Amino acid sequence: MTDPVTDHARALGILARCDAARLKAFAEPLIARLGEIQVLENRTGLVMLPMRDTAQGTHFHLGEVLMSEAHIAASGTEGFGMRRGRDLEAAMAMAVVDACLATGQATAPVRSFLDTEARHLAEADRDRLCQVEATRVNMETF
Amino acid sequence: MAYVATRGGERAIEQSQRLYRAEMGAITPERVAETRRALPYLIDRLMGEASLYDEDLAALALAQTGGELYEAVLLLRAWRTTQPRLQVADPVTQDSLLTHRRISAAFKDIPGGQILGPTLDYSHRILETAVLSGETHSPDPVTPADTPAPAQHPSVAAWQADNDLLTAPEPDRTTGNDIPDVTREPLLFPAKRAHTLQSLARAETGGVLALGYAAQRGYGQAHPTVNELRLGEAEIQVRHPRGTMFSAGRVKISTAEVVSKQGAELGLGFSATLGWNEVKVIAAATLDLNADGAEKGSPTEEEFFLYHTEGVESSGFCNHFKLPHYVTFQSSLDAMRDAKAKKAQQTRTPEPAE
Repeated sequence: MTDPVTDHARALGILARCDAARLKAFAEPLIARLGEIQVLENRTGLVMLPMRDTAQGTHFHLGEVLMSEAHIAASGTEGFGMRRGRDLEAAMAMAVVDACLATGQATAPVRSFLDTEARHLAEADRDRLCQVEATRVNMETF
Repeated sequence: MAYVATRGGERAIEQSQRLYRAEMGAITPERVAETRRALPYLIDRLMGEASLYDEDLAALALAQTGGELYEAVLLLRAWRTTQPRLQVADPVTQDSLLTHRRISAAFKDIPGGQILGPTLDYSHRILETAVLSGETHSPDPVTPADTPAPAQHPSVAAWQADNDLLTAPEPDRTTGNDIPDVTREPLLFPAKRAHTLQSLARAETGGVLALGYAAQRGYGQAHPTVNELRLGEAEIQVRHPRGTMFSAGRVKISTAEVVSKQGAELGLGFSATLGWNEVKVIAAATLDLNADGAEKGSPTEEEFFLYHTEGVESSGFCNHFKLPHYVTFQSSLDAMRDAKAKKAQQTRTPEPAE
């Protein structure tokens, strides 16, 4: 049995990083299923990113990241989207898919979309890490 | 007290800006996209110094200023103030980074091994002049390994702590808006460590390098060895309104630890910044390593290096000297003339009879 919070975190993580054009195209027909949608927020803003210093353990701010955020209420629940960059439509599309997940709308297509996008993301990471592995050096002292 | 009025200033200023921009021509979406694609390391440097991570905005700032970096940083810092802060993400840890480059000059057999990643450290520095004769220079593609590198690598410092080479730091429980923030509160001295590290993260690369280099050449107390240098991607862990923590994307960051012997243990200096900019973090970590007990006014004293590596303030102060100072300078000239006149009068006055 999958932990619902972990499952939700995984879905949101995929929606936040997946291809914007495919996400928008997927979310568009889902809007009708949610009935009346109230847009609570749809804006750009900044997320401050802190880091832990390895020398003394101090948390400090690295700087801010531009994000697009969407927060909607629909079908008695809420949907939330937050993605990097200035793409309010993509954030809104993420919020629509999130609301569908919360209300159990279009569960099978949403799961299928998430799995497909997860594969794309994993393949991109694997390709990159295979390139990174090619730069490994082994050192020997003579 | 006097003032100098300028006639025709508005027209001249307008025309001067047009003259500056005339050399750049039209700024198009295509130019911005090409700037982003072709100059990733300059974009990274700019995002770090602006303390604002977005490649498109950084590319636009470069295109709009013709590559005048101080102006570009100022544009981005100014734009940043128009945006609300949505959240403070969960703190990033070094061992959670998706790692693209990770080397140590102190230990060859670090856990996880040494991975060069993207670097020109060992390249021949040959200018591809054939491009200017019409040829296209296409870099050879990477021959990937069959198996991927591990996405995450353990921290070298944690391994050293396990081997009693240094004392592991206590975990910091401060999170969210409780983390000190130099963009919302003044930088006071002695500085909070969070302020020091944040200031170095957004410092101007050239300034950090100059002062870090001074310390490395001997104007500091400790000679650095790079314990760990890492280029990676950090997950931005944010909170959903229903409480779920999730990654809203990744950003590139650079981290450096430098090390030197301090008594029976190793002493560490640390720095990190947004974007991939390894010279900056090595130099900044050197300053951090040397800051403790540094003599007042020396390049490794924190007040000295934090004030003098803040790019917007330092370039702005430097620039202000070219603005009209006619009245104050005239006052200096008046004082000089007065002194000369007094001296001339003294030489003309005959000595009183004895």
